[in-house]
Amino acid sequence: MKNRILALAAVWVIFSMILGACSPAPTVTVAPQATQAPAAVQATLPPPTAAPTLQATQTSAPATSNRVQIRWFVGLGTGSRPDQQDAQKAVVAQFNASQDKIELVLEVANYDTARDVLSTEIASGNGPDIVGPVGWLGSNSFYGQWLDLSTYMQKYNYDTSDFDPATVKMYQTDEGTVGIPFAVYPAAVFYQTKMFDEARLKYPPTQYGEHYTLPDGTQVPWNWDTLAKIAKILTVDKNGKDATESDFDRNNIIQYGYDPVYQELFHFAGFWGSQKPYSGDSKGNYKANIPDNWKAAWKWWFDGLWGAQPYVPTGAVANSADFGSGNPFNSGKIAMSVTHSWYLTYAGQAGKNWDFAVLPADAQGVVNGRIDADTFRIWKGTKHPDEAFQVLSYLLGDGAPKLLKVYGAMPARKTLLKQWYADQAAAFPWIKNWNIFTLDMAYPDIPSNEGYLPNFNEAWNRTITFKTLLQTDKTIDYNSEFDNFVNDVTAIYNK
Amino acid sequence: MFEELRTIRIRPTGEKLKLTPQARREARTGLLLISPWIIGFMAFTLIPMVATLVFTFSDLKITSGILSPIKFVGLQNYIRLAKDPQVWSSLGITLKYGLIALPVSILVPLAIALLMNSKWLKGSTVFRSLFYMPYIVPFVAAVFVWGGMLNPSNGWINQALAWLGVPKGSLPGWVNSTTWVYPAYVIMGIWGIGNTMLIMISGLQGVPTELYDAAKMDGAGWWKTLLNVTLPMVSPVIFYNLVLSIVALFQFFLVPLVFNNGTGEPGGSTLFYNLLIYKTFFTYQNMAYGATMAWLLFLVILVVTLVLFSTARYWVYYPSDR
Repeated sequence: MKNRILALAAVWVIFSMILGACSPAPTVTVAPQATQAPAAVQATLPPPTAAPTLQATQTSAPATSNRVQIRWFVGLGTGSRPDQQDAQKAVVAQFNASQDKIELVLEVANYDTARDVLSTEIASGNGPDIVGPVGWLGSNSFYGQWLDLSTYMQKYNYDTSDFDPATVKMYQTDEGTVGIPFAVYPAAVFYQTKMFDEARLKYPPTQYGEHYTLPDGTQVPWNWDTLAKIAKILTVDKNGKDATESDFDRNNIIQYGYDPVYQELFHFAGFWGSQKPYSGDSKGNYKANIPDNWKAAWKWWFDGLWGAQPYVPTGAVANSADFGSGNPFNSGKIAMSVTHSWYLTYAGQAGKNWDFAVLPADAQGVVNGRIDADTFRIWKGTKHPDEAFQVLSYLLGDGAPKLLKVYGAMPARKTLLKQWYADQAAAFPWIKNWNIFTLDMAYPDIPSNEGYLPNFNEAWNRTITFKTLLQTDKTIDYNSEFDNFVNDVTAIYNK
Repeated sequence: MFEELRTIRIRPTGEKLKLTPQARREARTGLLLISPWIIGFMAFTLIPMVATLVFTFSDLKITSGILSPIKFVGLQNYIRLAKDPQVWSSLGITLKYGLIALPVSILVPLAIALLMNSKWLKGSTVFRSLFYMPYIVPFVAAVFVWGGMLNPSNGWINQALAWLGVPKGSLPGWVNSTTWVYPAYVIMGIWGIGNTMLIMISGLQGVPTELYDAAKMDGAGWWKTLLNVTLPMVSPVIFYNLVLSIVALFQFFLVPLVFNNGTGEPGGSTLFYNLLIYKTFFTYQNMAYGATMAWLLFLVILVVTLVLFSTARYWVYYPSDR
């Protein structure tokens, strides 16, 4: 009798364990991060809520049973910040209320773990239907996973006349038409006007072709060398001495002249020239193809960090709380930074004395710009491509204005540009030179500096390793480490 | 007694053991009671182990999808593993870290345990609790706190060093330095010595006091007593902690993942082997190659543990062996 009771108890335990294992996993609401870096510049103080769980998603209202559920995954690019959630949820609610065939469900993952979360979902055959907003960097991490939209664009007569043809063409790749333009982020020099005033320096040019006037009255081309010259003057220690002065204290710098905020090596190099960083067409014969101007660009950066007259904060300084915990321009202690319009949403603490200037040219006088671009992609494994395309059309159309605002994104649609400029001017009333972004649209990086690389994730990771080495170790031999980098990347391409 | 001996029957070799019905019922009940563990072991340990071994002979990617057919590639992953400089570099990083971390993870808890066990220490219970408390602090919170303390610009440790006269230009870069990042991780790890310290204390308290009395009578001082009495008697505890520490070293992963978001910063110096496995699986999305690396890790830990056990007879003293 006793044995029978024990046996029954054991059966009950086994049954309840099996039931427990089979039940759907609860969704975990992830607490929002305080700051959200679009690139992998790391703060040494990660928010305590940024646990690297593979289930870090939050969903909006669960789907009702008689609608087709379309899951929209956010996190590979922008969109995970707390201040962006309301707008995204409003767009979802608006879409769901506008029709009764499709239930749009929002999934938001922290930027730092989004790649892992999406990998796991795809591996389990449970990938989301729509992913975005995502740029080339995020989408190339999942190269080969995107649906060719051309069939659906034809089927639904999708009108692309509101987009610049160049931006439409950008998404026609070897995989087919993998995207439709949504947002563009041209680059500019962000600079602190007050720091220039204090140093009695002229502001950088606001038109391409203009020269820059140095303190001694000399007119020089506006290029990276000139930028370095004035960055040194704008780098100041606690005694008020700048980096060009003999008694400058490099161990007590309170203001730096330049920081390439949120730029990885290939991004920064793109402002010195764009090209495909590899040659070859198949595994075994790929070769890293790093041009001399990229090597020069990174040497420029390295010299700014560790040279006799530094003007770029080191990794330790850039990651410190005093300098914005990985977002230095936002600390208000960086005089200049070359970055993109998406940075508008990250510069909330940078003060109210900054503006835009045109990009510097290279040594040959050629302006090399970069335009980041975001869109929404449809996962090729989606079970409902037609419905996913309808949602995509909504996000790119009626839903776009709300989303563009919170993403800090310049609309790819020409009809939305005027309102965007008006909105930005209202949000940043001290900025005068909005025209810079329009000017910079003429300088896209072709090919994109976030373009496909063989073994993309590993190759990109190797560039980050090289960058952090440059930022943290002043004792390295730059040329030797550059050669190591080229060899390693070649090996990775051919893995 | 001899009567009892006469009733004992030695079963001839080869003869099957015949269970009585009651013994069979008891065996069935026992199996039923441990079946949850058996099912769990098979589902979450044995089958995944076999599955990963099968994956090492394939080219499975995470984006291949769970239902796509597996393509077998023979020993390609193993050949690639042997030639992959990043794999051996990350193993080297792990071993480099271990050179500092292992001695600290054994010697520091032992030293503190010796202090806790001292008869001259008043309020040892309070001190024991204080030394143990950091061990129960949630991990991510602890990383956040250490991030502040080890900040090269305004962290408390560097501020204290500057106050002691270390020039600002010579202050360690800690987690932003490719050299100082390992000592930084070791310092962080010292917070977690509470558990090891408690085990050492229990070992120390198991040393018979008459041995100390005998040593004292023989004129042994503190140092000779430590070398000839204390350490041999607690060597089993030290051995146990050493084995666990070595396994933990090769599985070192969470600190670089949380602290540096798994990037291997600065300059690849924190790309520990286990972290590289994680990145190979989830960032580089190569399940087959990640599985191959995981099996290499298993073999390395197995070999090291076997070597440790085989050398134990020379330095681990079990009183029951006398």
